[in-house]
Amino acid sequence: MIEVREVTKRYGTKTVVDKLSFTAKPGQVTGFLGPNGAGKSTTMRMIVGLDAPTSGDVLVNGHSYVQSAAPLQEMGVLLEAKAVHPGRSAVSHLLAMARTNGIPRSRVDEVIGLAGLSSVAHKRVGAFSLGMGQRLGIAAALLGDPAVIMLDEPVNGLDPEGVLWVRNLLAGLAAEGRTVMLSSHLMSEVSLIADHLVIVGRGRLLADTTVAGLATAEGVRVLSGDPANLRNVLGGPGVTITSGGPEELFVAGRTAREIGMAAAHYGIPLFELTPKTASLEEAFMDLTRDAVEYEAAR
Amino acid sequence: MKITPGGVVAAEWTKFSSLRSTWITTGVSAFLLIAFGMIASASFSGNGMSAVDLALGGSTLAALAVGVLGVLLGAGEYTTGMIRSTLAAVPRRLPVLWSKSLVAGLAAFVVMTIGAFVAFALGGMVLNSAIAGVSLGDDGVLRALFGAGLYLGLVAVLGVALGILVRSSAGAIAILAGGLLILPGLVPLLPNAISDAISPYLPSSAGSAVMSLTHSDGSLGPWAGLAVFAGYVVVTLGAAAYRLKKTDA
Repeated sequence: MIEVREVTKRYGTKTVVDKLSFTAKPGQVTGFLGPNGAGKSTTMRMIVGLDAPTSGDVLVNGHSYVQSAAPLQEMGVLLEAKAVHPGRSAVSHLLAMARTNGIPRSRVDEVIGLAGLSSVAHKRVGAFSLGMGQRLGIAAALLGDPAVIMLDEPVNGLDPEGVLWVRNLLAGLAAEGRTVMLSSHLMSEVSLIADHLVIVGRGRLLADTTVAGLATAEGVRVLSGDPANLRNVLGGPGVTITSGGPEELFVAGRTAREIGMAAAHYGIPLFELTPKTASLEEAFMDLTRDAVEYEAAR
Repeated sequence: MKITPGGVVAAEWTKFSSLRSTWITTGVSAFLLIAFGMIASASFSGNGMSAVDLALGGSTLAALAVGVLGVLLGAGEYTTGMIRSTLAAVPRRLPVLWSKSLVAGLAAFVVMTIGAFVAFALGGMVLNSAIAGVSLGDDGVLRALFGAGLYLGLVAVLGVALGILVRSSAGAIAILAGGLLILPGLVPLLPNAISDAISPYLPSSAGSAVMSLTHSDGSLGPWAGLAVFAGYVVVTLGAAAYRLKKTDA
């Protein structure tokens, strides 16, 4: 369990994280979403104790990570792919990390196999591709068989097979009752993995919701030769109909099938019948539009 | 599974021994100590230097090299991003500094003590005929040779501390070279009264006192000198510990 309570982080006069609160619970995957510069990485650095919050508390499994007696067993972290000395082999890197926490050598070989790095285990990390670096970072996060796994942009640079591997791995870890949290700036990616969504922009909490909760505003766009009549036919409790143009209606509360059947029954001509779902991506963009730090000129 | 001091030391040794650059820098340090000791032993024919002083004539350059070794171990954590992995595994932070200092200091002490003995043996073989030879059993010889290892071990620790304090290899090496090489060259430019008072306490002169058989008036005694140098190392370590513990990584 990760608990972030009213956390603020300022660098000089710039507030990067602003009174942010959320909880990542065991047994589910929490997606931590926001545009670039929203404060995701800073928040994760505070959770693992690399940065100290200006105010507020961060708890991992109910206490401060810094005070932990066996930190790698409490939480495994992937911060950035580049948290490894390029001159060291994958095995040496993992072995050095393992030794600090008294993790046996056999576990190092285990996570190397798990991450699919066996063939390059003794190669210098500097020669690794971005994807292999990510796999090494994930292997390091799993080293202590931790109760909490926190990954910053884990699928960055991974090939489709690697993305699928991460997805299945994280789902499996959550199913085992562990707390899994991953950050991303891509909604499409997170919606496939996460149950719970924490969305931030400019360091503030924009939404603490579920994937289902974010996907809203369903309806059907209809082009008809007799929109006025169609409106009368379709009207009823729980149905809202708005007009988009001389021949266009937007119907919420009726399926495309119901609309087509009704139109056929009353002999109303239809030119187009299109179900519309506001995609998660759109919902995310709407939510973060005002909070985008770096935006292309329009 | 938990963090133990021994585990953190073992981890730092794994880090030390798994990099080619540490072996190269350590080798270069020992090579400089031995090679320049032999050159000085063979070519010097003046007064005021004993055979031991000449055999350890490479210690100034060796100090720079072994200091660079320490800096690479310390600042390398920051320049490569490794520090994030390191501190995620040991979030209390300070054990990392102590362990890294211990590993670098011990490794440098062992290698450079052996180097000093080799330099003494080889230097004796090529010794200029104008200089009286000395043997290991002579007064102060063992102290000077072990002293060289101790001094150079402490220089490696100083390098680690500077690297962790400054977080940049270039910056830390500049401070190290400035303190060990350039400062001793600048102080004599000051008025005599001041420079005579300061000189013995400069890091390099205080540290070398333990390695020399001949002591001029005004220079510190061997152990007093080493203690002064250790003082510089402790102060730098303290500053490094403060920055490591108190600031964002």
